[in-house]
Amino acid sequence: MSLWVDKFRPKTLDDLHYHQSLSIRLKSLAASADFPHMLFYGPSGAGKKTRISCTLRQLFGSGVEKLKIDQRVFISPSKRKLEINVVQSNFHIEITPSEAGNYDRVVIQDLLKEIAQTQQVDLNAKHRFKVVVINEADSLSRDAQAALRRTMEKYMSNMRIILCANSTSKLIAPIKSRCLLMRVAAPNPEEMQIVLEHVAKKLKFDLPEEASQQIAEDSGGNMRKALLVFEALKMQSPDLSGSLTIAKPDWEIYCHKVADLIVQEQSPARVLEVRAKLYELLAHCIPPTIILKTVAERVVERVDEAMKADVMHWAAFYETRMRLGNKKIYHLEAWVVKVMSLYKHFMYNFDMADFE
Amino acid sequence: MYKAAVPLKMHTIKSSSGSTPKASRKKTKLKTVKLDASSEPPNKKLRTSAKLPVFDLIGSVPQPQPQESPASSQQPSLLQPQIQRKDVKGKGKPPVDRDDDRLWVDKYEPTIEADLAVHKRKVEDVRRWLSEAFEGGSAGKLRKYRRILVLTGPAGTAKTTTLRVLAREMGFEIVEWRNSMSERGPSTLIDDFGDDSWMDTEALFDKFQAFLTRASSCYNIFAASSAIVSTQPQSHTQSKFPSQSSTPSLPSTSSSRPSNRHLILLEDLPNILHLPTQARFHDALQSLCSSSESGPPVVIIISDSGLRGENAYNDDTWDGAGGARWSKKETIDIRSLLGADLSTSPYVTRIAFNPIAPTLMNKALQAMLTKHFASTSGKPPAKDVVEMIVESSNGDIRSAVMALEFACVVTLTKGGGKGKTRRNAAGSARAVLEAVTRREQSLVLFHLMGKILYNKRKGDPPATHLSARDAAKERELDETLLDPSPLPNWLSEHDRKASRVCLETIASDSPIDSSLLGLYIHENYTMFCTDVDQCDGVCEGLSWVDCVGGNLPSTTPHAFPTLALSTLHALPTPVPRKGQKVCKPSWFDVRNKEQDALEGVGDVVTWLGQGGASDERAPGRWTHADVALELGGWLRAADRTGIAQLQLPRTHRLFSSLPWCAGGVSGNVLGEDENGEADGVDGEGDIRVLGALRDQKEGKGWWLESDDIEEAE
Repeated sequence: MSLWVDKFRPKTLDDLHYHQSLSIRLKSLAASADFPHMLFYGPSGAGKKTRISCTLRQLFGSGVEKLKIDQRVFISPSKRKLEINVVQSNFHIEITPSEAGNYDRVVIQDLLKEIAQTQQVDLNAKHRFKVVVINEADSLSRDAQAALRRTMEKYMSNMRIILCANSTSKLIAPIKSRCLLMRVAAPNPEEMQIVLEHVAKKLKFDLPEEASQQIAEDSGGNMRKALLVFEALKMQSPDLSGSLTIAKPDWEIYCHKVADLIVQEQSPARVLEVRAKLYELLAHCIPPTIILKTVAERVVERVDEAMKADVMHWAAFYETRMRLGNKKIYHLEAWVVKVMSLYKHFMYNFDMADFE
Repeated sequence: MYKAAVPLKMHTIKSSSGSTPKASRKKTKLKTVKLDASSEPPNKKLRTSAKLPVFDLIGSVPQPQPQESPASSQQPSLLQPQIQRKDVKGKGKPPVDRDDDRLWVDKYEPTIEADLAVHKRKVEDVRRWLSEAFEGGSAGKLRKYRRILVLTGPAGTAKTTTLRVLAREMGFEIVEWRNSMSERGPSTLIDDFGDDSWMDTEALFDKFQAFLTRASSCYNIFAASSAIVSTQPQSHTQSKFPSQSSTPSLPSTSSSRPSNRHLILLEDLPNILHLPTQARFHDALQSLCSSSESGPPVVIIISDSGLRGENAYNDDTWDGAGGARWSKKETIDIRSLLGADLSTSPYVTRIAFNPIAPTLMNKALQAMLTKHFASTSGKPPAKDVVEMIVESSNGDIRSAVMALEFACVVTLTKGGGKGKTRRNAAGSARAVLEAVTRREQSLVLFHLMGKILYNKRKGDPPATHLSARDAAKERELDETLLDPSPLPNWLSEHDRKASRVCLETIASDSPIDSSLLGLYIHENYTMFCTDVDQCDGVCEGLSWVDCVGGNLPSTTPHAFPTLALSTLHALPTPVPRKGQKVCKPSWFDVRNKEQDALEGVGDVVTWLGQGGASDERAPGRWTHADVALELGGWLRAADRTGIAQLQLPRTHRLFSSLPWCAGGVSGNVLGEDENGEADGVDGEGDIRVLGALRDQKEGKGWWLESDDIEEAE
């Protein structure tokens, strides 16, 4: 018994089911002597990490799968200790610097310098360099990105960096220009169906066509989500027959209902009600940006064309404030109230126009 | 063995033979010669300083530690004269004089259970635990599980005193750990120069560990011997350090059993916030629990340090960017103190003390007054002064006693003018007390919130509940207010009448800081708004201030007035009175829940990393955000099918399921059955009403925490 996403994760570039051309490119890159810094970007669940690990395997052989987890301690300039989990093999090291919050620059600098200054000692290693995988690179602070940029040039001889990000928009241009950009697009529904069927075949059961179709459509190009939903469904009804109510995640439904609340009524009492819901979402560890995004998207669906731009504008506006400030609920609620106020005025003016 | 323990401040004190009649009339007075007076926290010092002179063992028994340098091994000889000097000084003074020196907190510390202002049930709980720890309870088997008792509660709720009183009554001794920076206290003055003795001290934690092992395996020889010597029953003469019992010269003592029973009291803890220290502390306690040989029980006392709004910037809500802030805890609570394993293990019992109930405190203070004025001349303060003190103390009896003592001193000094106008005196007493006991009072907070949220402006009709006098006062105030100069046309929407709220006084008198003010406003503004547009104004202000404050601690001087002003500007005027009640911010509850849930996410991440769900170990594949967002459905399904071999971490339920409940606003009414230790997980009904506080009946004997504005539960 295991999580299918992990169990059937492709190990080599040949095993990958979609984006064949990308796989071919990665393979030839790995074969060439000149492996560049790389930046993998694409929506979550598209298979960025899978491709990175496949590429690493292509580069170094199965040795990269012997992972160990290390807790490293870094000291921030203000003498504060930061404990960061580092996953590493003999050939590569993987970090999530956003764990260090504001001090990611320290982590990046220290860690990269340390790796860069040590030579590969394993004589059997295929390459002289080590690879540093930086996850969630788009949440790196400006400082950290600036620190990275220098290091990337300086230590090219014995280190390569692979960045993994959702979008390139939050990375500074110097970094983008130093990397080979690899876009990992979300798989289309047909490709997802192929993967789902592959999993079903491995597990030796039949996946009804319509079930796989529905799963693929519902997951919106997120392969990980699709596989998780698939597994959850299989657990619930082993024959996968009957009406398949593909369960969206709870929080998503919840967010949609919050959006409905906003559109239905605009009053202080309703603000209070929405706040309780937002609190509930926050208490379940749903990142506030995701909440804002999901609710805003749903609100946009429900309001008049003329208002859509405004709703999104204010969502963006309060998202920025949310990143700057520290009490997320204020900004979420300020957005909700702003939308309510806009909506109310809009409806009011609309009525008046009708009247004339 | 015992000698070695001396430097660890086991506070071995013997009452000397030179006791005066005065001393024996009251309880035994002892004096601790503190070798490290400089490093002791001041209030502890107050409490432990007792009256009679004493000679300290460190002086008479020089015991150089093996690793000490020759220079430092000479120290006892340097030390001795000084101690003796102290002793002489102590003896020389007439004890009557010294009596008056002591603070009432120490002077009238309860010695018998009846004097305690703590609710009987709590005392009974502690007593039961102690007797089970020493005797094993009715079945005799409980002893094994009564290893660690954690007493929690706000400051000044008589946690330590309860323990001491029970120690006296049940006849066991308390061995207490004290952090000390230097073992040689006063001597550092002497050998400060040309001596490198400061180089060789052991690490503090090593001392602590040594203390633990010694204390758990050794007995105090003096206490044991005195128990044999002594013959008469005692209850009131025993000192508050039971380890000192008494000497033949002061015949007293004897519980029928020799008092070789002792417990270890940890109140002054090592620096738990330092992670390695914390880990070692956990290990030390763990080994204490698991050792088969049953040593003495350990009592740990934690004063809940309230959570302040300004702390919040440090562990704010998770921003979804990784496991960023989920493991940082800045305050000591039972969980960080004992570690997750231990705090849930059967070896640990937790008894939470509540703030002292007003009636109980009132009774205790009155008793104290009678006692005090029986021996001293003077006039006890009026009853309403006592009530005022009780009211303002927020259930903190230590501060109440301090205030009471102060009140007595004040009335004594200006006793002459007091007779004429009683009312005047009461008024001035109130003013003085207000100046003295300006604590973060809920009452003031309550008024502050009322002032801001009701947004009264010049010319508002008086509220219906106001008396004629108050209405007249308002009119008077209105006359002093200047009308603001009119705004130009294009700003006319921002035109407001002059506010009756004086921002300067509010800002300077506020018991809370701006971030807490923000939370209070945020929690309550909707009820005072009539329209969404007004809400928009308030929200915008909150959001703006929060974002400008950024990651700095909210010490910007402008945050508070900005918040108050933007709120006042946005709220309707006059605010319709609909029987609104000011609620406590639920933000803390939510954050606690969130932190728990994050721990759940963390558990699942570790579980996945350790190969819980896959064949090989694959750390680092799942990020916190992925788990929180996408794994929920799978986890629930896995839970429902109940596959045992999966061994899912149970904590996932904290985040994985999120049912939509139709009932929008959770009840903000003070639950009658709510008890002091409401934990954050069942948060729904946790919003407490400040306003309901005043007519709170306390027939049940505990004091609801609704007035404790800082507590985070």
